[in-house]
Amino acid sequence: MIDRLTAALARSRADYTEIRVERTWSTAVTFRGRRLESATASEDQGGLVRALHAGGGWGVASFTSLDRLEAMVARAGELSRAVPVDPPIRLADVPPQQVDARLDLDRDVRGVPIAEKKRLLEAYNGAMLGVSDRIVDTLAVYRDEVSEYWYVNSQGTILHELRPDVTLSGTAVARRDGTIEKGLESIGMRRGWNSVQDKAAAFREVAQRAVQLLDAPRVRGGTYPVILDPELAGVFIHEAFGHLSEADFVYENPQAREMMTLGRRFGKAVLNVGDNGAAPGLRGTLPFDDEGTPTRDTTLIKEGILVGRLHSRETAAAMGEPPTGNARAISFRHPPIVRMTNTYIAGAPGGGGFEDLIRDVKLGVYACGAFGGQTMLENFSFTAAYGRMIRDGRVAELVKDVVLAGNLFQTLDRIDHIAADFRWNQMGGGCGKAGQFPLPVTEGAPHVRIEEALVGGDVGAA
Amino acid sequence: MIAQLVELAGRGDVGADALWRRFERTTVAFEWGRLKSAGTTEEAGTNVRVHQRGRVGVAGTTATDAAVELVDRARASAALGEELDLVFPAHAPLPSLPTFFERAANASLDQLIRIGRSLLARLEREGCRVNVAIERESTSTRVYNSAGGGGEYRSTGFAVSADVWRIAGDDVLVVSDAFEGADLPSDEALAGLVASINARLDHALRVVAPPEGALPVVFTPAGLSALMLPVTQALSGKAVLQGISPLGAKVGEQVFDARFSLSDDPLRVGRTASRPIDDECVPSRVTCLVERGVVQRFIYDLETAARAKTESTGNGQRGIFGKPVPAYTNVVLGVGDQASGATPAELGGGLLAEINDGLLVDELIGVGQGNVTGGAFSHPVALAYRIERGEITGRVKDAAIAGNAYELWKRVGGFGNDARWTGSRWAPSVLFEGVSVARR
Repeated sequence: MIDRLTAALARSRADYTEIRVERTWSTAVTFRGRRLESATASEDQGGLVRALHAGGGWGVASFTSLDRLEAMVARAGELSRAVPVDPPIRLADVPPQQVDARLDLDRDVRGVPIAEKKRLLEAYNGAMLGVSDRIVDTLAVYRDEVSEYWYVNSQGTILHELRPDVTLSGTAVARRDGTIEKGLESIGMRRGWNSVQDKAAAFREVAQRAVQLLDAPRVRGGTYPVILDPELAGVFIHEAFGHLSEADFVYENPQAREMMTLGRRFGKAVLNVGDNGAAPGLRGTLPFDDEGTPTRDTTLIKEGILVGRLHSRETAAAMGEPPTGNARAISFRHPPIVRMTNTYIAGAPGGGGFEDLIRDVKLGVYACGAFGGQTMLENFSFTAAYGRMIRDGRVAELVKDVVLAGNLFQTLDRIDHIAADFRWNQMGGGCGKAGQFPLPVTEGAPHVRIEEALVGGDVGAA
Repeated sequence: MIAQLVELAGRGDVGADALWRRFERTTVAFEWGRLKSAGTTEEAGTNVRVHQRGRVGVAGTTATDAAVELVDRARASAALGEELDLVFPAHAPLPSLPTFFERAANASLDQLIRIGRSLLARLEREGCRVNVAIERESTSTRVYNSAGGGGEYRSTGFAVSADVWRIAGDDVLVVSDAFEGADLPSDEALAGLVASINARLDHALRVVAPPEGALPVVFTPAGLSALMLPVTQALSGKAVLQGISPLGAKVGEQVFDARFSLSDDPLRVGRTASRPIDDECVPSRVTCLVERGVVQRFIYDLETAARAKTESTGNGQRGIFGKPVPAYTNVVLGVGDQASGATPAELGGGLLAEINDGLLVDELIGVGQGNVTGGAFSHPVALAYRIERGEITGRVKDAAIAGNAYELWKRVGGFGNDARWTGSRWAPSVLFEGVSVARR
């Protein structure tokens, strides 16, 4: 394959050309209630060519038939010539890489019969159903894939990788009369079959929580000191801040650039945020991004001050900053765009644990897990999976419908205490941007305290 | 190839159906006010389903020359499957429906670039940045089964989207709109897109304090998503089967305002979701879901219909991978009419005049999060305007609205005269009384 790709590259008349080809084997098993909804195996293959002529824009061609490779290289070149761009697109320098990388497959999922995958998921689904008669519905999904990946560019980079990904998710729906509550578990790893064994307890736990939520009161709307658990804190930093640090948002928009000026204070000195595409063993981790740039740990906020952002080769050149290895694509169907990898709030050494964050809180909310979150520019809304009230420095009753809404800048500035208990959240699903979903990413954080935040599902009625 | 595949898969007492789809697409993107990239995509794939010994299996591939292996995988999938009394539809005549438009199929790269430049020129303004994306595509679909059913058609699609950004300090404002259709947009449609964005941008430049309390709130056709999502989810046969639809036991009952009707219409000419046959060989037809406030029926694909012991409504949709699912085509609210892209009426569709103090909601944050089917919603606003004494006085920030969709649909304050397509939904602005509005 490499020979074929380099031969096609050699015939390109563009000033810069890259070719990415992927072949992906995947299986998916779904249970809904007691019923197997589907068990399928798929094979997907195709490629993408990007070309750049001096003074031209990007010419992009994607295809599923490899017979079309040479034609598509020519087509991408023509498209680039057809879109004059002024000032011209430049790419930051990246030394050519020639690597054959085989990630740890941790027992290759391709060697496991689909019947065995069905049995595993049936057991996890059964763990949810077995919790109580109140569990009226479940959804359990197992997905795996192994992707063989080839990348070459006209500057001498040649990559060949074997990339695994395996995810499990479980939703338990509890019901009593008209009240419906749910619990959600999600596990994702860039590994293989061994990494999804022995997970029944996690599935059982979410079903138990769904049942407990039937008796929980809705949180009373209002402003509180709020402690985010590591999972919700990770989702928060990814959604609310991470997307603004993607340089394609700012590099050609002077006002956005001003808003995200390096050196601007975003939070108190306790706040340190970064994105690390090279952290070992995580879903967002790969040796190189989809432009052949090595991944790395990029500090975004250092002691409350904005110090960095995430780049592709193009945005890095345009802003005169170093490329960070954050140009990623979900598949050969898409060109790479600036994306996060493993985004984190660093634990504060000496920040203590959860107990230290709540000790002086008279009345507050402990918001845990995430059902979902959306950010629109500077405003965000996150739905926690569940919450607990904090009363007089202690964890008190379970509450539901905990929705956090607010303004990003105000909220980051109100983070006043960060614990030392950092952990990565190995979740399935993924990140969406510009029609590319789901991109495997990881988030990590310790417990984080916001001195004041708006909480409440029933904002209007409160 | 597809007929041989069905034959290969459907040997002996095994039933089968298969879908083959090929498309090619051209895109042009203008980023932050300048032409940035052009792209092309060619993709083809096959999805096959077998029904053997009463069990269903599915497999998909984008690889060519993989028919035997594909069928083997579908059969292996069926060996694990649960029993299902699936019946593949026999041959039936298809409705005549134009889905292929030469002007869209043959639109050149230069034409796409010209459309983009003309939009940019009309949307540019001091202190703002504009993104424009233009896309055309041409698709061939073939779907056949072992019972003699099936059909094939070509279709086209054209999409133009634009968003205007204004960042002032920490205030970020984005106003966007899109044209989507099967044919090349007319000049009037593009002018309508520009007028729609500019009207909303003009009103948004001034920021005013949000109102508070139980107030009249007008939802624009785009803003209506939060109120439509619970309804469309509840009217899916899949939700009814799962026992999670609040409308599951309400067929024949008056649940909505008597002026509210809703249908799924795959036969609208010029819409990208329209097609003569669904992805499971069922001929397309209009399905009336709600008639004058009374629940009529739900949408089904073959599998959910078989489980519910009813007939497919022709709402089977399948991709290259995975199995078919019930999905809406064009969702049409009210009587509707065929026109699209007409010059937009004023913002609010004539519903603002009687409002002393209220809100006009164009976009919300977090729609689709949480327990949607239950009908309760609570969202911060992304783009909303204050209405005072019948007029828009400015944009509100830091406000949230909450309510229950089913309660609100029972008594509608009024329907606007500005019905239009938003994606594949046709709806006007709608006024609801007593929506809870909070500041934060």
